[in-house]
Amino acid sequence: MITRKELAKMIDHTELKASSGKKKIKKLCEDAVNFGFYSVCINSCHTKFASDILKNTNVEVCVVAGFPLGANKTEVKAAEAKKAVEDGAGEIDMVINNGLLREGDYEYVERDIRKVVEASYPAHVKVILENCYLTNEQIVKGCEISVSTGAKFVKTSTGFGAFGALPEHVKLMRETVGANIGVKAAGGIKNFKDTWRLIKAGANRIGASAGVSILEGLSLYKYAEDAWLEPEIPCHICPARHVSITSVPKSIFKYYKKRCSNCKYKNKYNKFYE
Amino acid sequence: MAGWMNKILKINLSNNEQEEIELTDSTRENFLGGRGVGVKLFTDLSSPNIKPFDAENPLIFMTGPLTGTVLTSGRFQVISRSPLTNTICDSSSGGLFGMRLKEAGFDGLIFVGKAKNPVYVNITDDSVEIRDATNIWGKNTHETRDIIAQEVNPKASITCIGQAGENKVLFAALMNDKDRATGRGGLGAVMGSKNLKALVAYGTKKTSIAYPEELKNFKSFLNRLVKKNPVTGKLLPALGTSVLVDTINKHGMFPTKNFQKGVFNDAEGISGQKISENILKKQSACYKCPIACGRSTETDNKKGEGPEYETVWAFGAQLGISDLKAVTEANYICNEMGIDTISAGNTIGCAMELSEKGLFPDNIRWGDADRLVELVKKIGLRKGVGKELSLGAKRLAKKYGKPQLAMEVKGLELPAYDPRGAQGLALAYATSNRGGCHMRAYMIGPEILGQPVNLNRFSTAGKARIVSLFQDISAFVDSTILCRFLQFAIGIDNFAKIVNLVTGSNLTGDDAVKIGTRIYNLERKFNVESGFKRDDDILPERFLNDKLKTGSSRNRVVELDKMLNEYYELRGWDNEGKPTAETLAKLNLS
Repeated sequence: MITRKELAKMIDHTELKASSGKKKIKKLCEDAVNFGFYSVCINSCHTKFASDILKNTNVEVCVVAGFPLGANKTEVKAAEAKKAVEDGAGEIDMVINNGLLREGDYEYVERDIRKVVEASYPAHVKVILENCYLTNEQIVKGCEISVSTGAKFVKTSTGFGAFGALPEHVKLMRETVGANIGVKAAGGIKNFKDTWRLIKAGANRIGASAGVSILEGLSLYKYAEDAWLEPEIPCHICPARHVSITSVPKSIFKYYKKRCSNCKYKNKYNKFYE
Repeated sequence: MAGWMNKILKINLSNNEQEEIELTDSTRENFLGGRGVGVKLFTDLSSPNIKPFDAENPLIFMTGPLTGTVLTSGRFQVISRSPLTNTICDSSSGGLFGMRLKEAGFDGLIFVGKAKNPVYVNITDDSVEIRDATNIWGKNTHETRDIIAQEVNPKASITCIGQAGENKVLFAALMNDKDRATGRGGLGAVMGSKNLKALVAYGTKKTSIAYPEELKNFKSFLNRLVKKNPVTGKLLPALGTSVLVDTINKHGMFPTKNFQKGVFNDAEGISGQKISENILKKQSACYKCPIACGRSTETDNKKGEGPEYETVWAFGAQLGISDLKAVTEANYICNEMGIDTISAGNTIGCAMELSEKGLFPDNIRWGDADRLVELVKKIGLRKGVGKELSLGAKRLAKKYGKPQLAMEVKGLELPAYDPRGAQGLALAYATSNRGGCHMRAYMIGPEILGQPVNLNRFSTAGKARIVSLFQDISAFVDSTILCRFLQFAIGIDNFAKIVNLVTGSNLTGDDAVKIGTRIYNLERKFNVESGFKRDDDILPERFLNDKLKTGSSRNRVVELDKMLNEYYELRGWDNEGKPTAETLAKLNLS
């Protein structure tokens, strides 16, 4: 079983709400130091402020770019990333142009990421795919493009989409990028069991605002490891359970509905047949 | 030893003799304090032959080593034999009384015997004075508090019974400070049976702390854990415990009309949101509590505390009532008369179902908010229909030939969660040492709220292990004594660390779990010796045979037998639920 210290070092302690000001960012940084998290993950306007607080500590500053939609012009994303690195960011979490990836404009997507990777040097770049709007094939393609540009991580979600990180997607991303590229799971991760499932699926970084609760949850596991990790009802962690016609593009809704109709669990659990 | 006043006093109310009981290091090491030491003292002093209302039945008030030191540490624990369930029973309460008792120089008080006339006991800085309470016998808890505060000390903390305890209502509560209740199991009636109206505590002593500087730093860390946890940092402060109304209703396990349904269509009328919008005056908190889940409220005529989640359910959905004002006023009456709201509402619901089936002489209808306050008052006074209701659901349903309509375990009325929606909770209800209780192992945390970790609520797999673990951890926390809500946010290793910083001991999380296991087994041993067995670890038939028809727990029943076998095996109990000699020896309980 993982130790508390090891787990903390896998967590990007996150605060990306529009309503968060300096007070919250200061607390976030203090918590990150006290609990031993890998980094704080914040919006770019707070970069300098957080870097000043965290200098002379082991905590990195991770800054998002083109967040949360990924639909900004490439130059804007790159400039945002460049400025963040100048202000002290050690990692950049950029959002892919999800719409153009879905349409198959891979050339644009590749250039978009490459420019941010170049602008961010020497900081590492993580590419957020926003999996909830993608088919599995599109996730694979997004991962392949990201790796080809020199990005160091692929990341599941912004936390602002229809759903966040799910084991199936993490597993797929890990299988696609191999062992040398990072996979960050983020979005909707609330406790240790969520976290552990994602780590088991292949994630080596976790983005969460619930990092403190996640660490405390770990202390219970040693007493009943098997019992905690009993298999879920498969539909609970299936992406299909988390989509609705209003929350994702129609094509994605149909994609999952079709999958459900062929699923071996359809008569037992499947949401479309309940 | 740091963390302790090193004084537990036994008072015989029959002859006013007082005797100091030595608390040995071994007792502290094996049972910690609070519930654990209380249970140990109780089993040493009592025997299965002593009945709840016998003068010899000990009534024990305990603080813990952490009382008065860190967040939520104003609590105290009351331990005795329950007149409602006949089991060993402990119940705890927040507020200030625990801290005041310790400041007065006492870790605990044990009452045996019965006073000739009503008395109250005044405890101030090591001195204990037994005073006549004839003039306050018959008064409600608020009046009692006001009179005694004037007589003794306005700054003192007072725990007392109301008319329900005096009249030996089988689910009478003790009330302390601002309407805080030691609610479950009828321990207020035990107090009444001893002619003991109230305890008054005040003092100036401070608890010694082994590592004060380290503790100070650790307190800020603990506060951050609490603030960052979604339940203790957001939900409970925002809407109080009634935040659960929406959640539990959406999960299809909000018991409606005596657990006939799991969805209450009018839940919005009694929700946490509605309380905030309509009757809330301000949030309230126990001693040093950063959560502040309490709700000071006001209706047209009265001010008071609550209602809590369990109460809005008991006087709301359970009875088909969505009138928040009626629910709140019934809650105020319970606070004044000293009545456990869960048992009161559950029992009235049972009477309503009997009435619906034409089996009950009084026509009490679902949704009849107009009669609610009247019924609660009659229970407290044991007048009219209240006389039968005051015996609890089990005795009531049995009398009218339908024992299966009592929603109870071992005689303790079930609280506000239908067990068909959460298998672990069902097992926790069945195996609770004090009867149908959600707090022995708060499985709503993992099965519904996903805290501290999430579990599949419909699965039975692994639940036996988790329930026994939660029962043991809860027994440990009840022995520290801190608020159980902290378990959402603080892991067992850190609970052990707080104890270490206060007492200078060297406990690990593993030691803490073992102490909890020992306490749970000692309680079980007493119950087994009193005649309880596997047949008593059972749920009402409704949960085992009747599927819920609507809501997100529809088509579910409890699969108890399977879990129970696994649970006994893991516990080291035989097939009848009796701890084996080997298990007892391993826990130093032989």
